[in-house]
Formats: sequence, structure tokens, C-alpha cells
Amino acid sequence: MLSPERLALPDYEYLAQRHVLTYMEDAVCQLLENREDISQYGIARFFTEYFNSVCQGTHILFREFSFIQATPHNRASFLRAFWRCFRTVGKNGDLLTMREYHCLLQLLCPDFPLELTQKAARIVLMDDAMDCLMSFSDFLFAFQIQFYYSEFLDNVAVIYQDLLSGKNPNTVIVPTSSSGQHYQRPALGEAGMLEGVEASLFYQCLENLCDRHKYSCPPPALVKEILSNVQKLTFYGFLVALSKHHGINQALGALPDKGDLMHDPAMDEELDRLLAQVPGLVNATSEASCLPSRTSSRVGSPWRPLHHSRKVDTESDGSTEETDESET
Amino acid sequence: MIPGKYRSVSGRAANNVNCGLHLVIQTSTLPEKNKTEFRFSRDTSPFPGRLLQHDLERNYSSRQGDHINLVSSSLPSFPILQRSSEEKSLYSDRLTLERQKLTVCPIIDGEEHLRLLNFQHNFITRIQNISNLQSLIFLDLYDNQIEEISGLSTLRSLRVLLLGKNRIKKISNLENLKNLDVLDLHGNQITKIENVNHLCDLRVLNLARNFLSHVDNLHGLDSLTELNLRHNQITFVRDVDNLPCLQRLFLSFNNISSFDSVSCLADSTSLSDITFDGNPLAQESWYKHTVLQNMTQLRQLDMKRVTEEERRVASVVAKKEEEKKRESQKQSLLKEKKRLTINNVARNWDLQQRVSNNAINADRKDCASPPRDSCQLDGSTTSSLPAETGSLDSGLTSALQGLSVTDTHLVEIEGDTLSLYGSGALECLDRNWSLQTAGMVTTISFTFIEFDEIVQVFPKLKIKFPNSLHLKFKETNLVMLQQFNALAQLRRVDQLTVDPQGNPVVNFTLWKYYVLFRLSHFSMQKINGTEVTQNDMIMAERLFGILAHVASSELPQYRMISILGDARRKQFRYLLETKGKKPGIASEENNDSKRVMGENTNRATLNYTTKEWHNEKLEEIKEKKKFCQMYVEDLVKEATDINMKNEALQKLWPQMFIELVRDAVIEIRNKNTYMKVCLQQITDQK
Repeated sequence: MLSPERLALPDYEYLAQRHVLTYMEDAVCQLLENREDISQYGIARFFTEYFNSVCQGTHILFREFSFIQATPHNRASFLRAFWRCFRTVGKNGDLLTMREYHCLLQLLCPDFPLELTQKAARIVLMDDAMDCLMSFSDFLFAFQIQFYYSEFLDNVAVIYQDLLSGKNPNTVIVPTSSSGQHYQRPALGEAGMLEGVEASLFYQCLENLCDRHKYSCPPPALVKEILSNVQKLTFYGFLVALSKHHGINQALGALPDKGDLMHDPAMDEELDRLLAQVPGLVNATSEASCLPSRTSSRVGSPWRPLHHSRKVDTESDGSTEETDESET
Repeated sequence: MIPGKYRSVSGRAANNVNCGLHLVIQTSTLPEKNKTEFRFSRDTSPFPGRLLQHDLERNYSSRQGDHINLVSSSLPSFPILQRSSEEKSLYSDRLTLERQKLTVCPIIDGEEHLRLLNFQHNFITRIQNISNLQSLIFLDLYDNQIEEISGLSTLRSLRVLLLGKNRIKKISNLENLKNLDVLDLHGNQITKIENVNHLCDLRVLNLARNFLSHVDNLHGLDSLTELNLRHNQITFVRDVDNLPCLQRLFLSFNNISSFDSVSCLADSTSLSDITFDGNPLAQESWYKHTVLQNMTQLRQLDMKRVTEEERRVASVVAKKEEEKKRESQKQSLLKEKKRLTINNVARNWDLQQRVSNNAINADRKDCASPPRDSCQLDGSTTSSLPAETGSLDSGLTSALQGLSVTDTHLVEIEGDTLSLYGSGALECLDRNWSLQTAGMVTTISFTFIEFDEIVQVFPKLKIKFPNSLHLKFKETNLVMLQQFNALAQLRRVDQLTVDPQGNPVVNFTLWKYYVLFRLSHFSMQKINGTEVTQNDMIMAERLFGILAHVASSELPQYRMISILGDARRKQFRYLLETKGKKPGIASEENNDSKRVMGENTNRATLNYTTKEWHNEKLEEIKEKKKFCQMYVEDLVKEATDINMKNEALQKLWPQMFIELVRDAVIEIRNKNTYMKVCLQQITDQK
């Protein structure tokens, strides 16, 4: 954190790298929108809450797609939120279609575009039979790669097409490239659609790409690792390899390893608590409706300390101990 | 001797016989020399129903046959008949040759004045050798084996011709018998009524026990009073209204099954007596009153007098039938109209879908997914529509010319179900429904309406139809699970039916569980007809419980309020629009909000905003965003300025400090001069 490089960057670039401005702008925007409600409990607390939620990764819930896509941290948070919310669907073993996964995504982000989901599905299904059913883990990891690295992947696709058609993308003027990186490429007539492109050449192009876009690329070392194992590979083969590589997954940090995908003890506890209330769910509603004043006052009440909020809400269903006493 | 059916029913006195033909024969006892007189009168008097009183037979003495000598003639085949002169003078005008085992007609010599000739019960196959008997009035060939009517062309005076119980296949060769009064052809093999049209004096025609399948070709029989068609295979009757004198018509034991096949009878003014027994017609429940209603002139039906009471009942029943028919016609008209309207709505809907699909596909750069084939929506739309929407429009306009402009939507209430077809139907919710009608409605069905449009009228629905418990959606474009969030606004939903047709959301495996999860506070009973079990509820909670937890507890407080606030604000907006027409609205709104709180608040943040509303909101925010951006930019600029200055200061400060120190040290080097300078400074200051 206190590395000297940090101080070496000019101001704007530093801020931009950390996306501080994005969050500041968004915070101020949110403040303006909900002026009346927020003014009730104070602006300072609002900012605290806001940035806390940014840290926790809950700021992206039910937000518009443009915000979710804005920063890598947002994307990672969104992925994590999606995993946590719908892990149970995966645990249940249901295989769903692309459209249904898209529906689930839309539950969290109403205007999530279909193209992204489609592209993710294509990775899983290797561009074949788009109506096939997919398992939760397959889809999730493919979606992670597609969503988090979407710009990178778009560029890779272009490079791949160029390589296939025989053009050398390295002849494009790259501002940061040194003369030593211009390769005299032999004619690549043998690259067929099915066989793909030569791995090493592909890697070199990717390396250039990574240099250009420092922050939303997979770590070059891992990419090299993937590409060194094969001679030739297709575009989707590459993507599948990316999605299944747990080094990259860990580098991203949003999702747990594939083996641990279904494990989330904390949430399972919550779920059990909720399930225990299901038979009594009918009673719970009638109870709750008998206590309208208390519940309504709970929501409209002054802001409660954050560390109490979680506990309070889970016990609101049918629980007789009302937590008004926690309000100070 | 006398064929049974000709015996008198009423058992009249033997001597004086009144037959319908008034063939009155007055004879005394035998020894008396008496001239038989024949009187032929044409009165039509009521008749006990039997056809021909052959009572004159009774007065024939069979002894006549005894006096006949059949002498073999010179001609090889025909015998010659001769009578003794005594016989001849006694019975000069009549000759009986019954049961003589005759196989051919004998040549009858010297009897040119003969008026009655009886050949009953023989085996005669051809009518021959009687052409010379030109005074013949009565010819009886009953019960022979005659196959063809022939040999009668000279008998121009013939009035009664009895050919019953023969083997005649065709009515023919009667051209010259213009005076014929009675023609009896019963018990033959006749299939068609023909060649009788010239018999304008004919009064009785008996065609019973033949092979007739229909009755027509009766014109020209201007005197016909009685027509016997019993025991045939008649299916329809025509031409009877052309018989001006017909009084009795016997159609028993035929094949008539509807009154329409004998409809000409209704037009006959002379008919007073008719029988239909033994026909399928007579078995029908409506038989009697239909006949009586259509034939008001009838006096006897099936040999029973028609009473006034019966007639009255018949007309009443007929009127009721008429009304029923009119009702059902009206109903079917209404149904037809409804069907057309629904078809129209369906077609419009389909058009809409195609247009929107084309728009979507044009927008999409990535056309990997095939455009949704709206032919799959084609449930009730009829003909195949051409691909181009342009030509489709022109085709539609020509097809729609028959329909009125208002036929773009349909609203229908049937008992407890309110059905809405087409988006225009949603306006019906603004109408004033009577409390009773509205209170009875428990099911509301939406067809061919966009779900997003339906969502907007949910508040109205709550108020106008408070007892609605069951919602049905068909062809409403339900595509996302999110859309079910909108149903949470309603007061209560017991049952939900989402028809797979036009609602792709049903193809998702998880949709039912999501509905149960989101609307758990409704405790729904049935989804798409299947009962909701405890297991379903548990599964729903298991699948989506965490989503609810995350949506409630992990949302920052301000977000929660803003989301809930939005939802309530929308409802508020509607209520404000109605300007509180009902005084109960204010309290109702409170109740509703309390209810909203009453539902599991952890799900309350899962709302559905239609695309338009979402985009609207984003548009609104754009201005604010721009402002925020500028504001933050300014802040950043300030901060960076300050930072720069700070950094610059940091860099320069050491130097500055050193210089400061150096200056100070240099100043103090010479203590004495320094003291003097300071003192000087102090005095200067004064």
C-alpha cells in the first residue's frame, strides 16, 4: 500500500487506477437521489455506509448495469454476490438453460444485457447448441471470465480472427512496444478454423495486449502457462482453459475454488434458520401484520449501527423479540 | 270372398250400402226379376275410413259362377265363355268369374252390354280379351298374377278398376280411362307414381303396400279425395298441395322422419284427415304439436279427432320452440362475434410481436440467437401470415373490413370470471362496476396483453375487484422471473395460472419455486392447476432464501429505503391521480402500506420495474450524474492543486528551512552589531 510506485503516478492517473473517482461520483449521485431519506440520518453516516458496502461488495445489488460494469472491483463483487445468492440453485443440481441463468442475473441487475450471458454460454457449450442445459459451476466460471475480462476477450477475439485470416496483428502500431518486438511472421496458411492458431504466436500477441491494458487482463504468467501446454488451440478452447484454470480464479479473488463452490457455511446457517421458519411462515405473516406499527417504525427509524443490522433482519420473521431496544 | 280390409267397419245393414262412392245397388231377393241400378253420385260425405265398400260383393250370388260354361274355343289358348240365356237375361250386366282357376282371361262372347266384370282370385297373368266389352264400368282383377297393366285401352267407360294384390311393377296404359273414379293398385310392386295425371275424375287412389319411396307427380288429379299410401317406404311427400280436393291421406307405416319432408301438407287447405302412425316421425316428442301447428285445418290425426285443447297446447309449444330457436340464434351470433373479436385481437398481438421482434433483432449486433419465431405464438390466429410486415398490414386491412373499429379488445364477465382480451381491455377497469358484479369476480384472465401493461393497472385491480383470487395469464409475454415480483403488489393471490402459450417463462425449471418464494406471504394454493405442497414451499425457500437474506440484510440501509420508497411512491402516484374519489382511499393506502410491511420485508426489495420505467429513471438520473461528475471533478482539481502545492512545498521546504537558518545564523554572528540592529528596529517601530 505504501509502495513508492504509488507516489510516482501523477494525481489523476492514480485516482483513475483506483477508481476512486467512480465511487465518489456514484456516492454523490446516490446522495442527490435519496436526499430526503438520507438527510434524516446524516450525510457522514451515509458516506460511511456507502464505502463500507463498497468494501463488502454489496454496493452492486440491484444497481444498473453501467455501474456494475464500471470497475473491476464492482464486477468481482457482482460475481461474488451472484454466487452467494444462487449457490443453492447449483447445490440443488438443477441444470438450466442460458435464458434461465440470464433471468437469475436479471434478478440482481434488472438491465443486464443478454449478449454477455450468451457469450458466457458459448464458452461453456463451445459455441454449439445454444439451448443446451448447463451446470451452475460451469456457467459461473465461464461467466466470470467473460464478465470480468470482457474487453480483454473482445480484443483477443479480434487478434484470433486476424491470426486465422493470416494478418499479423503485430504490425499495428503499438505505442509502448520496442523495436525488438516486431516479429517477421511467416505466412500462416496452415491455420484452419478447427485447429486454431499456433499457441506461441498467440501468446506473443496476447502479451502485447496485456501490456497495453494493465489492469483488466489475466496475469500474463498464467496465460503463458495455459498456452505452453498446447501446440495449437481454438478461441473457445482458450477461453475454456481460462475459465477452468484455478490460478486465474484465485487471482480474481471473487469466487472460491471449484471444489469449494457449493460450500458457504455462514450462508447455510442462515438458510437453515430461514427454513426452520417455513412451516410457521403462515403464522409469521399473520403475526407480522398484527404488529404493523412496530415493523413500519423499524424501517423508517433512524439509522442503526451497522453491526446490528444483519442480526436484526434475520430474526424479524416471526421472532417475538423486537430489536427496537438496539436503537440508541 | 270379400278381401278382409274392405269389410265395413261400421257394420251397416247389408242391403243398403252407403259407400263413399255411392255405388248404391238396390237388389231384392234373388227370384225377383230386378234390374240392378247403378247410381254413381259424386257427393263427398264423411267416410268411416275404410276405402272401398265392396259390399256389392255381398249381393253377388256365387251361384252365378255355376251358370257359366267354359267351353274350349277354336283358338288354342283361350277358352270361350258362354252363359245360358236365362243367366244372361237375369244378370245381363254383370259377370262373376272368381275362383275359377283361370290362368288367362277367356274370350267373352256376346256380352257386349256387360258392365261389371269380376275376375277375383284367379291366376290370370295378362289382361286380355276384354277389349270388346266397351260398356264395362267395373273391372275387378284382385288377387291375380298380372304383371303389367294392359289391354284396357278400349274400356273408355271404366270407372272402377281394382288391380290389388297382383304383380304390377309400373302404372301405365291408363291413358284412355278418363272416367276412372277408383283405382286400386294396392299390394303390387309399384315404385313410382306416374301416368295418372290425366285422371281428373279419379277420387280414390290406393297405392298401399307397394314400393314407393317418395310421393310426387300428383298434378292433374283434380278430384282426388282419398289417397292411401300405407305400408310403403316413403321418405318425402311432394305435390300434395296441388290436389284441390284431397281430404284423406294415409301415410301410415312409411319412412317419414321429419315434418319438413312432408311440408307441402301444410299448404293443402282441403286435407282434414291424415295418418302418420308407424313412421319414425310419430316417435318424436314434438310430433303431435308440430303436425297440429302446421296443419291447422286437420280434423283427425291418426284416426283420432283433434280437440281444441290439443290445438291450443300445440300452438303454445310451437311458440316456445320458436323463442328457443331465436335465443339460440342470438347466442350463436354473440359467440361468433366474440370469436371474431378474439381472432382479431390475436392477430394484432401477433403483428405486434413480429414488429417488436424485428426491432430487437435489428438492434442486436450479435445475431447468434435465432429470432423468436412468432409462429409459435400461433394458437388461435388463423391463416398463415406473410413474412413482410408491410404486406401483412395490407392483407389485414382488407380482412378487417368486415370488423368494426371497436373490435380490438374484448371484456367479458361470466359469473365469477372476468376475461380481458387485448390491451384496450385494460381500460375497462376504469368503468364503474356495480359492487355486486365486482364482488362476485374471483378470477381474472388476461390474454393478448403485455404483462408490463398489466402491471401498471394492478393498483386499480386491487380496488375494483377486491375479491379476485385467481389470476390467469395467456399470451402476455412473461419472460423474466423478475416480473413475478410485480404480483406482490396485489392484495392476495390464491391461484396462479400461467399458460405456456405466449409465456416463455414457463419453460424455466425454477419458475414455480420462484413464484412461491416471492409470494410466500400469499400462501398460494395452486399454480397452474397443481396443488402447492409443503415440500414445494420448502424447496422454494431453499433455492431462493439466501437471495432474500442478501436482499434485505446486506443492502445498505439507504438503498433499502430508496427501493421500498420507490415502490410505495409508485402506488402513491396512482392513488393521487384518482384524487381520492373514495373517502376510504387514504385509510386504504395506510392499510396497504401496513400490509406491505406485513409481508416478509426481506423480499420486499425484490421489485419489478418495467423496462420503460427503468429507462425513464436512468434518464432522470443522467442530469444528476453529470452534475456529480463535474462536482467531483472540481473537488479533485482542488485536491490535486492542493496536493501539488503540498508536494512542491515538501520539495522546497528543506531548502527554504536551510536558508532561513543560514540567514538567521549569519545575522547573529556578530553579537554586538546584532544587538544594535535589533534596538534600532525597535525604535523604528515606534
